[in-house]
Amino acid sequence: MKSRKRATLYSYAWSGPSLLLIGLMVVFPILYTAYISLTNMNVYHWFDFTIVGLDNYIRALFVFDSGFLSALLATILWTAMSMLFQLVIAFVLASLLNIQKLRFRKLYKTVLMFPWAMPGYVSILLWKTGIFNSQFGLLNQWMEKLGLAAARWLASDVSAFICCSIVNLWLALPFMIMIMDGALQSIDRSYYESALLDGANWLERTRSITVPAIRPIIAPAVIITIFTTFKQFDVVYLLTQQAGAKTGSGFHTILTYAYENAFITNNYGYSSAISIIIFVLLIAFSARYQLREEGDR
Amino acid sequence: MSKKKWKERLSLTALNVFFIALCFATLIPILYAVSVSLNGQNSLLSSDFSFIPKNFTLDNYRAVLFGEDIMTWFKNTVILAAVTVTLSLAVAVPAAYCFSRRRFPGRRAILKCLVLLNSFPAVLSMFAIYRLLRPMGLVNSRVGLILVYTGTMAVFSLWNTKGYFDTIPVEIEEAARMDGASDMQVVVRIVMPLAKPSIVVTALMVLIYVWNEYIYATTFLTGEANYTLAAGLNALQATEMTGSWPVFAAASIVVSLPVLVIFFLCQKHMTSGLTAGGVKG
Amino acid sequence: MKRCLSILLALAMLLALAACGGESGGDAAGADELVIWHDKEDAVIQALQDYLAQAAPELKITFEKKTSLTDSLKLVGNDPSAAPDLFIFAHDKIGVFAEMGILSPIGGLVDAAALEDMLPMTLDAATYKDTLYQLPLYFETLLFMYNQRYMLPDSVPATTGELLSYMQANTGRGRYGFVEQHSTAYYSAAWIHGFGGSIIDENGTPFPDAGAVKDALAYHLKFVRLMPGETEYNTVNTLFLEGKADATIGGPWMVPSAREAGIKLGIAPMPTVDATGMPLAPYSGVQGIHVLKFAAENKTEAVKELLAALADPAIGVSLALASGCAPANEKCYDDPQVAEDELVQAMRATAEIAVPMPNIPEMDVMWTVTGNLLTDVNLSGKDIDASFDAALAQANDLISAMK
Repeated sequence: MKSRKRATLYSYAWSGPSLLLIGLMVVFPILYTAYISLTNMNVYHWFDFTIVGLDNYIRALFVFDSGFLSALLATILWTAMSMLFQLVIAFVLASLLNIQKLRFRKLYKTVLMFPWAMPGYVSILLWKTGIFNSQFGLLNQWMEKLGLAAARWLASDVSAFICCSIVNLWLALPFMIMIMDGALQSIDRSYYESALLDGANWLERTRSITVPAIRPIIAPAVIITIFTTFKQFDVVYLLTQQAGAKTGSGFHTILTYAYENAFITNNYGYSSAISIIIFVLLIAFSARYQLREEGDR
Repeated sequence: MSKKKWKERLSLTALNVFFIALCFATLIPILYAVSVSLNGQNSLLSSDFSFIPKNFTLDNYRAVLFGEDIMTWFKNTVILAAVTVTLSLAVAVPAAYCFSRRRFPGRRAILKCLVLLNSFPAVLSMFAIYRLLRPMGLVNSRVGLILVYTGTMAVFSLWNTKGYFDTIPVEIEEAARMDGASDMQVVVRIVMPLAKPSIVVTALMVLIYVWNEYIYATTFLTGEANYTLAAGLNALQATEMTGSWPVFAAASIVVSLPVLVIFFLCQKHMTSGLTAGGVKG
Repeated sequence: MKRCLSILLALAMLLALAACGGESGGDAAGADELVIWHDKEDAVIQALQDYLAQAAPELKITFEKKTSLTDSLKLVGNDPSAAPDLFIFAHDKIGVFAEMGILSPIGGLVDAAALEDMLPMTLDAATYKDTLYQLPLYFETLLFMYNQRYMLPDSVPATTGELLSYMQANTGRGRYGFVEQHSTAYYSAAWIHGFGGSIIDENGTPFPDAGAVKDALAYHLKFVRLMPGETEYNTVNTLFLEGKADATIGGPWMVPSAREAGIKLGIAPMPTVDATGMPLAPYSGVQGIHVLKFAAENKTEAVKELLAALADPAIGVSLALASGCAPANEKCYDDPQVAEDELVQAMRATAEIAVPMPNIPEMDVMWTVTGNLLTDVNLSGKDIDASFDAALAQANDLISAMK
């Protein structure tokens, strides 16, 4: 009995520093936001705010109008599409990069990592002005050379959605490829050899060996990516919704929508309430899709 | 036999062509930045754009490398990145090992909570972190920034390494334990080498995060002498009123290159100890 | 067990060390050391630094460039260990910072006589709820600019009707008669003002004259149809700088790049709206120095000395010469070199009609609301009445959500 207690203590001591840092930098902000959400902290009460109870939550419910619902649906679609493409493309590319006879694969891998090495806001700007711009962008310059009509790529909802997805894919793939690549490395070659002897084809080998083997390894990264995709702000905001550079598209994720309809008010109490509601909403979603079980194997 | 070999060579060539094309396609936005950075005119746009600039000049790179305090920023970033990566691994690996190998009350609950923490939209976290660092006197200090970075990345680091540890068979460790190795020895000598791919991935992830992070860096450190590369780059960013796009583009390229070099050099460590014969040997 | 203890211990020591390090850095700053945040171009800051080195040599002044100055200020507020002592910014955030309680009124820190020479428009802009919160340095307004290679000085449109027919005659095949950032609140405000409307009044009522705003939108749309489908500044400015657009409405910051691009630049008065007889009246932004409360209370003498130096016409003259800024101090315009500067004089003339950007906190959300309204009408092709109603509803929601 005593030794069990000791063992528990021991485990906590080993994981203590990590949990402490998480507590300070991740959990504390959530608790603090929850606290602020109960106060009237805004431009008029910046330092002398008081507890106002659930007022902010009651007001926040008015933000959850049809605009919010359509943003929510768009975000779900956006997350599903992004994740599907990311996983499939990253898996295929990582598998190809693992072909031992491919001599320059280290070079290819390095080049493919480039999108990740640049700060996101820089690359999004490059996409927006360099590629998608309707007057000068490369896409339209190429369209013109092909004799096609120039288009306003970011102006309509659907095409803005596709363009944002492409940029998001471009930004996220390097990380996913690297995770997949690392996971593929971990599979013992001998499994494949025996499968080959049994005459299994590539698809069968993938289904019965590769996927089960890499699944637990990539699960953490994939789940974290699902959350970041759901909470994506920069790509959509900077490409289509930035103040002073709007393109006319109505595509919003929940965060860009919350930004335009709450965060810009400088009302921290109110904005905090919205953040907490989104937080709870996302927890509900992850419970629905049992994302937490995945990490707990 | 030779026909088979010929076929194999053909498919390998096709694969190479595919990857070269893919690399080029990936690089288009970056080549765009390169072209802007080599151009004499201060414009991000041009109606007859070509990847080879018309008024070729290296002035913008000269301006970045010699005009700005880039060496100081580089030094600051390297210090921050090195300490953060080391600290991240130092706290994440023991924790991940515990969560992977030991069973203790609260383990499942903590693991579940860690996943859910990702659901929080961190837009307003800055404010809370400021409130936290101020009483500790950590605003305007590198230590504060390192703690923020390590903490922010801690969930990922812990979780990602734990996922990999789970796949390493316990039997390998048991042999060592029979020889009287302590927990620490087992982790350092056996588990870590076997988990190298995931440790390198975690380290790279933290490194790239620190390298490109500018919001905390500009808020929590003042003074140009304390800038990181990303913060300096952000200050160089051209707006409608000020700044030069070509210099900004040149700076973006210059800032990104060290990460790529590190990535290239790290690759040989990303193959697993398992395939390198760690189990059998 | 020992090892984890040592890790914890090390962490604790790290924290302690940092705590000590932080303390000594923060409050030790002397009473004559002033930190000034800004987000201005290098030429302006260089001119200020050179001038202050002479005019107030005993002050140790550090200029720090902050790219997201307003966000950082909201965060650090009035905290002496992290906040600056003063900052240079446009006047439109005065309301926000004054309500937050971090700005000190300027009245007691600067000689009343020194303020008498300031252009009245700049003092109006710097005043929020009857209190002066900013010492104006210079101001900027949008200007009607044209490329003399394509638009001859005597064919410059004097009215919007003339502008429209010029655009109809000269737009097409990749060329434009006139371009502007048509769906951006800052630029389109000129059109709304030209119809007698406004984005928000001083009481915080959004779009007080709905009819005027809708008329402006409908009329403006005719022009927008002859402009590119992008409102973002890179596109608009590049079109003008590459000689693909004959005329534009742009800020003084365009002038250096236009000269660099070899454009024979002409500056003309804003065209008059035929229907109302009023000119397109752009917003003006007054750039000036703001004092944070902490500095005003604890470094009073240094701040007073700095403000006295900055109220002198000499700095206005050097700013005008260094960077084409239009000085806030009326006396600067007596300087022969300033008097010859076409750009500075043009801005001074525009100052007569320009409307200072509202400085009330409510304006903060109106930038987004107006931007959305313009985007809906101009870029998404939505109905004007419906878009206006939606924008008005959003404005009211957001304004009530601020409190």
